[in-house]
Amino acid sequence: MQTPELSIVSAIKAGRRPALRTLGAALLVAAGLAAGWAPAASAADLLATVKARGTLKVALEGTYPPFNYKDQKTGQLAGYDVDVARLLAARLGLKVEFVSSEWASILAGLSANKYDVIISQVGINPKREQAFDFSTPYIYSMPQLIVRKDEKAVYASLADLKGKKLGVGQGSVYEQQAKAVPGIDVRSYAAAPDTMSDLASGRLDAALNDSLMSAYLLKISKLPIKAGAQVGAVERMGIPFHKGNPEFKAALNKALADVAADGSLKAISIKWFGTDVSKAP
Amino acid sequence: MDWQGVLELRALLAEAAPVMLRGAGYTVIFALASMLGGLLIGFPVAVLRILPYRLLRWPATVYVSLMRGTPLLVQMFVIYYGLPSVGIEFTPVTAGILALSLNAGAFLSESLRGAIGAVSKGQWSASYSLGLGYWTTLRHVVLPQALRIAVPAMSNTLISLIKDTSLVSVITMTELMLSTKEVIATTFRPLPLYLAAALIYWALSLLFEALQRRAEQRLNRAHR
Repeated sequence: MQTPELSIVSAIKAGRRPALRTLGAALLVAAGLAAGWAPAASAADLLATVKARGTLKVALEGTYPPFNYKDQKTGQLAGYDVDVARLLAARLGLKVEFVSSEWASILAGLSANKYDVIISQVGINPKREQAFDFSTPYIYSMPQLIVRKDEKAVYASLADLKGKKLGVGQGSVYEQQAKAVPGIDVRSYAAAPDTMSDLASGRLDAALNDSLMSAYLLKISKLPIKAGAQVGAVERMGIPFHKGNPEFKAALNKALADVAADGSLKAISIKWFGTDVSKAP
Repeated sequence: MDWQGVLELRALLAEAAPVMLRGAGYTVIFALASMLGGLLIGFPVAVLRILPYRLLRWPATVYVSLMRGTPLLVQMFVIYYGLPSVGIEFTPVTAGILALSLNAGAFLSESLRGAIGAVSKGQWSASYSLGLGYWTTLRHVVLPQALRIAVPAMSNTLISLIKDTSLVSVITMTELMLSTKEVIATTFRPLPLYLAAALIYWALSLLFEALQRRAEQRLNRAHR
């Protein structure tokens, strides 16, 4: 993924005027601070901090149904991630406080201690594990292609899309995966609905997204599109938090193991997806 | 569009209205607060930049250059996500208003500086010859005339500011634009909803344009 930190540094570079080199350098330093070189602020374990506060501050996107979105009828947050957050917090004896953040800045917010954890379909990958600790995975999914209903060509893998236009989410793991295959004309979109409307109108040949998200997309949108092949490896989603909190990590993983064992996590999964996606396929 | 489509559109907008109007409320709060903040910053900075003392001019010049020469998105990001690492922590509301005010202040100060320069040298000379000092001349002779010249350019900045508030969504504030995106995420109807958001922004701008007209009329009293 193109990290927000990187895009900011390049934005500064692009906007820098040659005559103001020192100024530019100062800004790069400032951006570096923003990029999360900051050390963890508190020495106490996160578990003690949240217990003392009584609430767990959970960040999520809020625009990513059916995982986390704002229910228009009630005005409240809803979705798989929201239910998981409530369940885990209850296990830990905490209240939940949700913070909605755009995806582009959600990891930066965790670096800056704006909240305790992110429960928003954060894929576990080595680069992110360098910056944060992750819980054990709480949901598994596959990348899946979406194509037009009348599509004649069959795309069985990403390699079949060479020379074709493929739509992906900006900063998503799918964007990275698509860009890793040479020859695909990758187009990055800010939001899934835009991708789907461009696919339907023929500006794209296919779109790549989470298989669980795709099922929802196809159900809700009335566009002439259908599910294509599942491509690539299984994605593991976890809950990231600041490094150096072994007690919190143990407590969170125990809570996850407990809700998996007593079937309450499975019940949430069935509620939102019709199948159990909380276990590795 | 057929009758069915109209009904469907009405239902969509009725469903979106509560969320989007709440977002619009935040947009108005951010816009008004940073207009005030921007003006409070812009006036002294403009005056600093025309002073005959280099040492006072210099910081103002750097400030204006920095704020105009870097993206507002980056400024907001640094203030909210960057400053906590050096121990300065703001709430999202404070950080948003601060970033918008600092940014608008730089642009406003330039409009005002240009307008002060546009007041003829004769006004200064005439004022001095009447025995008024530098500050009295600036305050009572030059600034009132400059303000009249500056109003259209300053209104440009202030109306842009209404739309720039959409950037506070990166620091976790659900203003009009982000709340529109939230509705789009669940309904998959981008076009009508973006158009509805555009209409709300326009309505807000129209209110402000009316304000601008009144300010111009008032400042133009002597020139009718």
